[in-house]
Amino acid sequence: MTAFLIRRLLRLVVVCIGVSLVTFGILHASGDPVALILPEAPDADRAKLREALGLSDPLPTQFARFVANAARGDFGKSFAHREPAFGLVAERMPTTLSLTCLAVALALALAIPVGIYSAVRRGSIGDHAATVTVLLGQSMPVFWIGIMLMLLFAVQWRLLPVSGWESWSAMVLPAITLGAFTTPLFMRIVRSSMLEVINLDYVRTARAKGVSEWLVICRHALRNAALPIVTVIGLQFGLLLGGAVLTETVFAIPGVGRLIVRAVVQLDFPIVQAGIFMLAMIIVSVNFMVDVLYVYLNPTIRLR
Amino acid sequence: MKRWLPGLALVLALLVAVPSGVAAQPKDTLTVALSSIISTLDPHMHFERVGILVNINMFDSLLHRTAKLEYEPSLATSWRALNDTTWEFKLRKGVKFHNGDVMTAEDVKYSVDRVIEPGKEKKKSPQYGNVRAIKEAKIVSADTVHIITEKPFPLLLERLVYFPIVPKKHVEKVGEEAFGSTATVGTGPWKLVEYKRDQSIKLEAFDGHWRGKPAFKHLVFRGIPEVATAVAELKTGGVDIIRNVNADLLNDIKSHPATTISTTPILRVHYISLDMRKPPFDKKAVRQAANYAIDKQAIITKMMAGLGKQVATVVQPQSLGFDAAVQPYPYDPKKAKELLAQAGYPNGVEVTMHSAAVEWRPHFEALGQMWTEVGLKTTVKPWDQGPAWNKFFQAEGNVQSQYGNWGNYSVFDADAVLHPLYHTEPGGWIGKHYARVEGLDKLIDEARSIIDPAKRKPIYSRIQQMIREEAPSVFLWTQNDTLGISKKVSYDARPDEWLWLFAAKPK
Repeated sequence: MTAFLIRRLLRLVVVCIGVSLVTFGILHASGDPVALILPEAPDADRAKLREALGLSDPLPTQFARFVANAARGDFGKSFAHREPAFGLVAERMPTTLSLTCLAVALALALAIPVGIYSAVRRGSIGDHAATVTVLLGQSMPVFWIGIMLMLLFAVQWRLLPVSGWESWSAMVLPAITLGAFTTPLFMRIVRSSMLEVINLDYVRTARAKGVSEWLVICRHALRNAALPIVTVIGLQFGLLLGGAVLTETVFAIPGVGRLIVRAVVQLDFPIVQAGIFMLAMIIVSVNFMVDVLYVYLNPTIRLR
Repeated sequence: MKRWLPGLALVLALLVAVPSGVAAQPKDTLTVALSSIISTLDPHMHFERVGILVNINMFDSLLHRTAKLEYEPSLATSWRALNDTTWEFKLRKGVKFHNGDVMTAEDVKYSVDRVIEPGKEKKKSPQYGNVRAIKEAKIVSADTVHIITEKPFPLLLERLVYFPIVPKKHVEKVGEEAFGSTATVGTGPWKLVEYKRDQSIKLEAFDGHWRGKPAFKHLVFRGIPEVATAVAELKTGGVDIIRNVNADLLNDIKSHPATTISTTPILRVHYISLDMRKPPFDKKAVRQAANYAIDKQAIITKMMAGLGKQVATVVQPQSLGFDAAVQPYPYDPKKAKELLAQAGYPNGVEVTMHSAAVEWRPHFEALGQMWTEVGLKTTVKPWDQGPAWNKFFQAEGNVQSQYGNWGNYSVFDADAVLHPLYHTEPGGWIGKHYARVEGLDKLIDEARSIIDPAKRKPIYSRIQQMIREEAPSVFLWTQNDTLGISKKVSYDARPDEWLWLFAAKPK
């Protein structure tokens, strides 16, 4: 286990450097932020600003400085906000994380029972209905679902607020929107992994023992089917953080996604770097947790 | 499955029947949706429209502009030019800041100094470029200030319309950062209550404001990036005013029982800039052909709901210096083809048109199509704004043709568009890369160094005839600004795109 942890930590460092290098490279290739900050100023003024922001040094120097500072949690000051970028990102992270977690929870709450039902009653009308829903759900883009839900529940029926993030009721539609994006995939995975185990010998043995069908499914079948489900949750988490960008835009939620997208448009390098870095860290941590969960779910797996 | 169908039907029926479950906002509150919430409330430390719209309701400048675009006294009660480079401003007496301090000449000088930062090499304020002609602000007495410019600067009054006066003592006491976020203090109709980044700005009427009390006690700005969301909020009463309503949403808002629109022509002019340094646009005939090829009226009628006007050049009817005698290029595809043939392209020529104007993508594609039809076989290339600025205007300045629009910084003067688009001085904007019209720089310089409007007008007439003929750009149209407004509020869109909410009244 210790060896596993050390290995993982080393991998984390590699991921950190990799992510930073890629972000840094793409950003610096994408344009000159000074041109956006001082659009109508003489070149001399721009040169001075470029120097003040540390953008006039050669790229390798800039990258070395960036890594040295980032290691201490200092990503520099945002060009637009004139404040430490790390704080700006950290301030918004809880919003994005709670949106994502709510969406995952909602998606699982729906996907697990429906997926089990489809597997157990394979070929039934319910199973087909679920498959069609999956297909529909996967073909609808996040922002479209969001706007449709908004039109129905907020404009037509006036049940929920249109946008914002200030009350529990305001969180309902965004969470459903983002959840809808991932529910179909979860549902499919639950169904197929349940189908894989449901006819295996140990399940039949459990049934033969006279264990109730409910217990057979939940304790024996689902636990063994859980491995692929957990894997997919880990993988989807990253995608969901991406989907959060659109959801945040549609519902005017002050999250990290919107912050980063605006920062990209404004070429606000420190915010983009800090934001991508923190998101990458979160995704790595989630994957780490998934690995640890494996052992818990299937003791025959060894962490190496 | 069939068993729960009636249940489902019942739930749906209930949902439809349920009355409004979301409380509307109180009557003395005016809520405005902006595409984003500015990252600082310090009126001198940004140059974003969404910030200016908030700042003008919290601060006053020396002079104000009415909805009819006339100057009106604000913190200055009168002004006059003493000579070509010195202007005298008499200040209003007894004006109070939100914290109770009285506004004096000290504050005016301080406000000017913090933008031009005399003697400093690095300028902090992004607005510096707008007023860099100002040399100094001199305190003559407690209520008299002289503003001295390097050279004659006819645009001074225009630039001072948005030049908020900030309280010297207060800013020095609380520091720049607090002044831009938690302790913003001005002399304007509303004072700061709460500033939630990325979310909202809440203001409250200032009892001691010199104009009197505004009609709405509370003023709230909410950041809503998505237009469809803003429209939904408007219909449900979550917000009262939304900006930048697209043509395809007009009827939806007009026909809704709770909402209406207000629209007015603004200073934004659309154009395709052409790279005059390289073939094929180094030839005048090709540039003229590019102008004849565009059916401007069709685009205005069919794609902009008629809310726009063809222009002869980039100088607009509302600007000082506009000459109505210069006529727009007519739509004449035959002539365009002839001109192309004359220029040596009888079989047409391949060109690329770039654009970063995301919200005008359909118009952009239509322009490319029209060019292609006459033989300017166009590839359209859309860009994101960040990278585009570099590629189009800055370090590189290297695109063959570029569809864009220019808002003149809401300055109603021909210079505000001619200089950035066509002057070739190295510190300029687009002109330094693309425009090469002989003699044009000199005329622009000449017109901007004269104070007397009557003497400037003939020069601008000459310039407009010249650029109409030389066609450094394809001249397209001016656009409207369209607001969506709740029927509970009376307010009219302004030609300068300002939201001067002191004029808003409950209905």
